Amino acid sequence: MKRPAHFAMLLLLCAFCLGPLLWQLVTSLKPNEILTTLPPILPDRLTLDHYISVLAERSFVKCMANSAGVAAMTTGLSLCIGSLCAFALAKLRTPFKAAVLGFVLSASMFPPIATVSPLYLIIRGVGLRDTLWALVLTYTSFSLPLSIWILTNFFRQIPDEIHRAARVDGCSPFQCFYRIMLPLSLPGLFTTAILVFIFSWNEFLFALTFTATEASRTVPVAIALFPGVHEIPWGEIAAASVTVTLPLIVVVFAFQKRIVAGLTAGAVKG
Amino acid sequence: MKRHNDGTPFIVPSLILIALITIYPAVYALYLSVHRKLPIFGISRFTGLDNYLFLVGDERFWNAFRNTLYFTVVSVTLELVLGLAIAVLLDKAFRMRGIVRAIVLVPWAIPTVVSAKMWEWMYNSDFGILNYLMGTDINWLGSPFWALNGAVFMDVWKTTPFVAILLMAGLQVIPRELYKAARVDGAGSLDIFRRITLPLLKPVILVVLTFRTLDAFRIFDAVYVLTGGGPANTTETLSIYAYKMLFQTLQFGYGSTLAIMVFLCVGMISLFYARLLRGGIAE
Amino acid sequence: MGTRSTIFIAAITLLCLLLFIGCSERKRPTEEAARSVIVFKHGKISGDPSIFRTILDRFESENPEISVREETLPASTDEQHQFYTLNLEGGASDFDVLSMDVIWVPEFARAGWIRDLSHLVSEQERSDFFPGPMEAVTYKGRMYAVPWYIDAGVLYYRKDFLDKYGFSPPRTWNGLVEAAQHITNREKDLYGYIWQGKQYEGLVCNVLEFFWGNGGDVLKEDRVVIDSRENMEAAAFMRNLIESGITPPLVTTAMEEPTRHIFGNGRALFMRNWPYVWNIYNAEGSPLRGRVGIAPLPSFPGKKPISTLGGWQLGVNRFSRNHEAAEKLVRFLSSPDVQKTAALTIGYKPTRRSVYQDAELRAMQPFIVSLHDIFMKARPRPVSPYYMMMTQVMQPEFSAIISGIRSPEAALASTRRQIEHILEADR
Repeated sequence: MKRPAHFAMLLLLCAFCLGPLLWQLVTSLKPNEILTTLPPILPDRLTLDHYISVLAERSFVKCMANSAGVAAMTTGLSLCIGSLCAFALAKLRTPFKAAVLGFVLSASMFPPIATVSPLYLIIRGVGLRDTLWALVLTYTSFSLPLSIWILTNFFRQIPDEIHRAARVDGCSPFQCFYRIMLPLSLPGLFTTAILVFIFSWNEFLFALTFTATEASRTVPVAIALFPGVHEIPWGEIAAASVTVTLPLIVVVFAFQKRIVAGLTAGAVKG
Repeated sequence: MKRHNDGTPFIVPSLILIALITIYPAVYALYLSVHRKLPIFGISRFTGLDNYLFLVGDERFWNAFRNTLYFTVVSVTLELVLGLAIAVLLDKAFRMRGIVRAIVLVPWAIPTVVSAKMWEWMYNSDFGILNYLMGTDINWLGSPFWALNGAVFMDVWKTTPFVAILLMAGLQVIPRELYKAARVDGAGSLDIFRRITLPLLKPVILVVLTFRTLDAFRIFDAVYVLTGGGPANTTETLSIYAYKMLFQTLQFGYGSTLAIMVFLCVGMISLFYARLLRGGIAE
Repeated sequence: MGTRSTIFIAAITLLCLLLFIGCSERKRPTEEAARSVIVFKHGKISGDPSIFRTILDRFESENPEISVREETLPASTDEQHQFYTLNLEGGASDFDVLSMDVIWVPEFARAGWIRDLSHLVSEQERSDFFPGPMEAVTYKGRMYAVPWYIDAGVLYYRKDFLDKYGFSPPRTWNGLVEAAQHITNREKDLYGYIWQGKQYEGLVCNVLEFFWGNGGDVLKEDRVVIDSRENMEAAAFMRNLIESGITPPLVTTAMEEPTRHIFGNGRALFMRNWPYVWNIYNAEGSPLRGRVGIAPLPSFPGKKPISTLGGWQLGVNRFSRNHEAAEKLVRFLSSPDVQKTAALTIGYKPTRRSVYQDAELRAMQPFIVSLHDIFMKARPRPVSPYYMMMTQVMQPEFSAIISGIRSPEAALASTRRQIEHILEADR
């Protein structure tokens, strides 16, 4: 594709994706009196009041810490458990593969609002209400179907000869998985990690239902607590949404580096 | 030697975890769906298939079903096409690729609690930025036609990154030699795309299609905040209808019936995809 | 080998799960020496949370054997309703006092989720409360909640424009239309009248104000009269506001805040909204400071103006393990003195009429005091355990009327059929 055309499309793409967030940024810097005044697009006076109001509140920062913890744990667990399962489905002899994949997928077929009620009763029954572990457990289970399906697909793409060669060399299935499969499937692993992390960071329904105090409150619930009975402090919400999206972008940027070509290509020859 | 290859131990933790979180709620929902349960009035009796029979004749159900179907078909198609285009655009390495990839994920990264409200205010015909930039005066969320399409557009914006990043990763594992060999043989870009890229992407596309369809068919939060199901229930999706039954009118029996219907529809669609892209994952 | 490792892994997984569950903190109310703990569950309170905490601390010092823990829910009425139905249906006892929207009380009472609180408020005391909230918390003759703070719809107008063109605040809807047409023809970029018409509960509040203002109602002594001639006229009038251009079509997508912003940007002449907006418009730096007036909503000729009642009520969870302490907290929070404090510090409008006579309140918050008469005329939406089902029927039909999708006759007739079906369903 020609360079200028390529560049133009990239610019369009960035504008499309970033546009609304930039608008949020502009809104978050506008004083309350002119919050919704249009024109002008760019305000003549700016204020940091909304950011100060959001970040000065200790509880919001604690909620971000909660979210980070839950997201990290969920991603780690989901990848560990999911990749093992995916490896078995892709490379080993596992009975009823299609049924297992179907069963795993069916977990994602229920509308969450129907499952929130019985799940809440379970969580409350075992005393996990208002804890971070309730969220980690739930999110891991919810993200497993996606993890398993994505990783199974990526493991399958790794040529069988590699696996067989390793087994001939005397590796146990687990060693094979750990030493050979994982390194070769980094694009798949990091893609899954990004998706699971973001899902866990932004999940709202179960976070709202399972948590009661800021001990286990995550960011989406904290933001849902900004509005009053009628008032919606849109300036603060805009500031919060910008603040909360930035760490995610950093995480994504760090992870996406591993989604590169050329990892499997050379493997067969080696 | 064959026994050593057994994969069963590896799948057990996943199965246990998923079973715990899925089986009980599923059975519970199934159980409720064959009851008439209104806790407020102390009604709780087994009614067999009555709820399902009622559902078949329920005009509101069919309205929600049509809305949900339209929403799913249009948004998933658009997301797939756009996502593929983005993935291809970002396939070859160039200087700022890392940053662009991170930017592409911004819509997916914005919290849903904020994103729907943000779009609602962007669609506002008085102070919304959309009408301002386009110079129009359309009442986006107040017109039955524009409201549903507005919801579709919002969803496409938000979830195309999900599709894009999966397809990006899928593209990255296609061996580059295949492209080089094809070019040596004189194949053009479109040919390469049709004959090499797409077939090799089929498994990833299956994953993407399946999960996006599952999510689109169950859509609730985004549309509920945007329009509340209105105007006049013209944007009410199946999940919104189920939510109103379960949590507003407390008709637990019928609400569960609706949820089971969603489950069945989605299940059938998944089977259909598996047939269509046969041999995708588990051959 | 295969089955052995399978069983092994399964056992390890289950063990890990049990350990997770066992090691996590358990939230149980801590029992200090002689203090019992009660939990007060409420939606987010505007402003600094420490202000309300001061009020609770005062309660604790007056009742040293009780300790109050607050748990906040999002302000959204839907999310709170979801929380309460989820928990109370499961017999939860992890909160004792709850704050309820004015439309839930009969529903919760019928479900047996809240305690009868008739003994907390004596007969004479009941007349101290506004009649609207009292009606809303009474079910089958018994009081199931105590009104905490009150809210009602009011008309906002641009004083400066009305003065400029020699109009006084309209008493009738025709008067409002006349003033709006006259002024918007002469001023640019001004909408006539904006209100909330998105398909949600607020729409029902707005529509009922028109219906009641024409002498109509939803139910009349257990008969469904929603398709009465008065209501059809009122509904047609509402649709006509949009068709004639007095009201912009965007109203069909608007909730409270968007209309508040539009009026606040100086782009509307009249607005229907709740009293909360007043302080925003009169804050320092607001461009509308001193230019806005408040009046009761207009009515149709020969009829009285009636606002829809809002506000929140305090109830006691029937499954609470400490209902005496809970009832003490309810009495405390609804006492005249605490209601006055809440009015002064948080801005909650008291539900007791006597508080409006207080000299200090009159001096510091004259605005709240001026709302007294409007609150006297505030009517609750149909007080029935079926109300949540009824509103789910009314919302889409009302939305169809004001969007022009269906005629008032067809929509109201359909509403009547559906509501009758609901009311019969229980028998």
